[in-house]
Amino acid sequence: MDPLPLARLQFATTTSIHFLFVLVTLGLVTLLVYLQTTSFVTRKPVYERMVRFWGTIYLINYVLGIATGIVMEFQFGLNWSGLSRYTGNVFGAPIALETLLAFFLESTLLGMWIFGWHRLRRGVHLALLYGVAITAYLSAFFIMAANAWLQHPVGYEVRDGVAHLTDFTALLTNPTFTMALGHVTSAAVLTGGMVLAGISAWLMLRRSPDYELLRKSLWIGLVTVTIAGVPLMGFGFAQFGAVGEVQPTKFGDDAAKAQAVADFTARFGPGDYLPPAYANASLGFMILIGFTLAWAFVMLPLFYRDWIVRLKFPLVIVGLSLPLPFVAAILGWLTREGGRQPWAAYGLLKVDDAVSPISGGVMLASFLGFTALLLTLAVTNWVLIAKRAARGAADPALGRSLADVTAEDDDERRPEPALAR
Amino acid sequence: MELAWYATLGLVFAGYLVLGGYDYGVGLLLSGIRDDGQRRAALTAVGPFFLGNEVWLVASLGILFGAFPRLEGELLSGYYPAVVAALVGVLLVTVGVQLRGRPAEPAARARWDRVVVAGSALAALGWGALFGGLLQGLPLDASGHVAGIGHLATPFVAATAITLVTLVAVQGATFLLLRMPKGQAADRARLVRRLVPVALGAVALATLLGSLSADVRAAVHPGALVPLLLLVFALLAARLLAERRPGWAFVASSLALVAPVLLVGLGRYPAALVSTVDPAATLTVAEAAAAPATLRLLAWVAVPFVPVLIGFQAMSWWVFRGRIDGKAPVYW
Ligand code: HDD
Ligand code: HEM
Ligand code: HEM
Repeated sequence: MDPLPLARLQFATTTSIHFLFVLVTLGLVTLLVYLQTTSFVTRKPVYERMVRFWGTIYLINYVLGIATGIVMEFQFGLNWSGLSRYTGNVFGAPIALETLLAFFLESTLLGMWIFGWHRLRRGVHLALLYGVAITAYLSAFFIMAANAWLQHPVGYEVRDGVAHLTDFTALLTNPTFTMALGHVTSAAVLTGGMVLAGISAWLMLRRSPDYELLRKSLWIGLVTVTIAGVPLMGFGFAQFGAVGEVQPTKFGDDAAKAQAVADFTARFGPGDYLPPAYANASLGFMILIGFTLAWAFVMLPLFYRDWIVRLKFPLVIVGLSLPLPFVAAILGWLTREGGRQPWAAYGLLKVDDAVSPISGGVMLASFLGFTALLLTLAVTNWVLIAKRAARGAADPALGRSLADVTAEDDDERRPEPALAR
Repeated sequence: MELAWYATLGLVFAGYLVLGGYDYGVGLLLSGIRDDGQRRAALTAVGPFFLGNEVWLVASLGILFGAFPRLEGELLSGYYPAVVAALVGVLLVTVGVQLRGRPAEPAARARWDRVVVAGSALAALGWGALFGGLLQGLPLDASGHVAGIGHLATPFVAATAITLVTLVAVQGATFLLLRMPKGQAADRARLVRRLVPVALGAVALATLLGSLSADVRAAVHPGALVPLLLLVFALLAARLLAERRPGWAFVASSLALVAPVLLVGLGRYPAALVSTVDPAATLTVAEAAAAPATLRLLAWVAVPFVPVLIGFQAMSWWVFRGRIDGKAPVYW
């Protein structure tokens, strides 16, 4: 069995699952920074309740961000050893920087944030969240730089058949990097807003308690969707120009495509140099979703006299729109990654040469195993988020102590409370 | 430069084994705790450090990829089953620990705790097998291909896998000895003293099987004896100190987890991957490293930032130092 399609499918599956979670991580952490800063400044209790409620949801979501991220990290070596062998000198650098500068700090700081409630000073506790947010964006920055390099290799030269780094700044000014970074981060913030709005809408329909918190969250969510949609579309359309120039086979016109194919054939021998059709179809659907979400602004006037709640159907619409940004994001990646086929690094290394020399059987087992595991975990995670949300904003998990917990579910089953001594 | 990065890689991975080691050790020991509240207390002891521990693994992989791209590709794909086992184990622990506190029903929490136990065992087995595999070499040919995965199925690899499980169990036990309330100290110390002989037995078995294996004898030079002795003495020290000096016992069991990294690093230097079929295909540290320009770029970033990173970790250790009590924040 040919390991290549399996390796590709596995990469596409794990990365897509990873992205569904980190999209929410990035978006929610941004909103949490806003909420906790407001709570810090105004000292209004509703904001602290919001931080604790949405913070719990953020943390549940974060779990799978980490779990799938670790799989991603291993996957390069496991399935794409050719990629590290030929392009590791260049492509490895942003990945290494990401792990050191971003992940390492992010998780350390987040650990302190979770366990620092009521233990650290309010200012320190807030500063930790800022640290978490900054490092989360740093990780998006470096990973997109790495991805952009695969889309359009720059700042390197080939010696002894291996790419060598010559200019790191070129990686950071790569045209496929800047626009994509703007687009991805706007997409994340929009998704964060949609999560706030969507979950709040469902909870209001279920008449969950703490109306004040839910109404505020709905408002903040919808305003976020509205605002983030503007740069999202701006950067999105700007990508056509930036990417089309360096990847003629993706967004070029017919003449540019034919010329690129001729050029590749001359350099690498005959082959199929045109991307698969699904890449283009995905693009269309993503843009459709983008324009649909842009209608979020019509909900804002409905907050006048709470019409949005009294009419009810706007809440249903908001709730039903919750999956849209997630679908759009996957479609966007199918466009970007599918559209650069058959290249692992565009114009430099084909996917056939990048894949590990592993037997198809092992690859199949690994693909089936990891896909089943990650999908199970992902679904479990969403169920836990839904259940957590359905319990409403009372009793958030964040900021409790061992004594609270043991008092809360202590009964005759356990005559001797934990740590009573 | 390569040597400095190789040492850094070893250091960071050793950091992961020490810190992640007590996560998995505590994870394994959960299997012996009947009561939900006590299991939660044990995880609360790990609590604030948990997220900061496994990033040492992520950082090792980052360094491996950035500074030794060729080693990364050949190591991970050459030892596929061991790496995948470790990876799945790490995943299960990460997910299990963080999600076990979310459901309100104790039965659901107990199910997640079983996931944590299984994950901890798998992670330790996987890393142990990887160590064993590294020490016995692999059928690497000159083009960097490895034929099949059967080369991992040897008694020696099985023994090193089991050894690592026992080492993390000791590490988990000394960690709990250090962090759990004073009243439990006597029981905890007894557990350490009981686990150490098991670990020593596993080390002895692995050493015996290793010295019987021609591949291991060919791959490893006598310098490996030093870390091996360190391992034995560290274990003995952990046992002796458990009663009176829990802090030092923890240091000793941590050293016992640093020793395997030294063993693999020093015992085979200058080889990074030893080929059992073609001596010319053996990958040395210098060959495995990235080009000088890449290493320099990484060093420019690492030298100023690594102290900052460790500083933040130290801040977290300091803020949450000491034994846990009823006021300890709970989240897991
Ligand atoms: C919330 C999700 C979302 C929404 C609503 C949109 N996008 Fe998008 N899009 C993404 C999320 C995304 C993404 C997942 O973030 C991608 C994948 C790669 C990337 O850089 O961003 C992406 C890629 C991507 C690409 C491919 C870049 C490449 O191949 O290198 C283009 C041309 C656009 N987008 C354009 C648009 C336009 C014109 C939109 C709306 C009017 C739009 N996107 C809405
Ligand atoms: C395809 C290559 C990718 C790899 C190898 C990768 C790797 C990882 C790893 C190892 C983690 C866990 C770190 C930890 O333990 O804290 C992680 C988390 C994260 N990743 Fe990725 N990732 C990839 C793609 C992306 C993309 C495209 C984005 C966003 C634009 C992204 C954003 C994040 C963020 C924000 C986190 C931290 C938050 C969380 O864990 O939920 N990653 N990634
Ligand atoms: C998180 C968002 C990402 C998603 C959803 C995603 C999606 C995909 C998809 C769908 C494919 C398969 C393409 C096909 O089969 O035609 C793919 C391949 C690949 N992607 Fe990504 N990708 C993401 C980010 C990245 C990043 C950040 C990197 C690099 C750092 C990367 C590197 C690769 C590689 C090496 C392949 C395999 C070679 C290939 O088939 O082109 N991806 N990805």
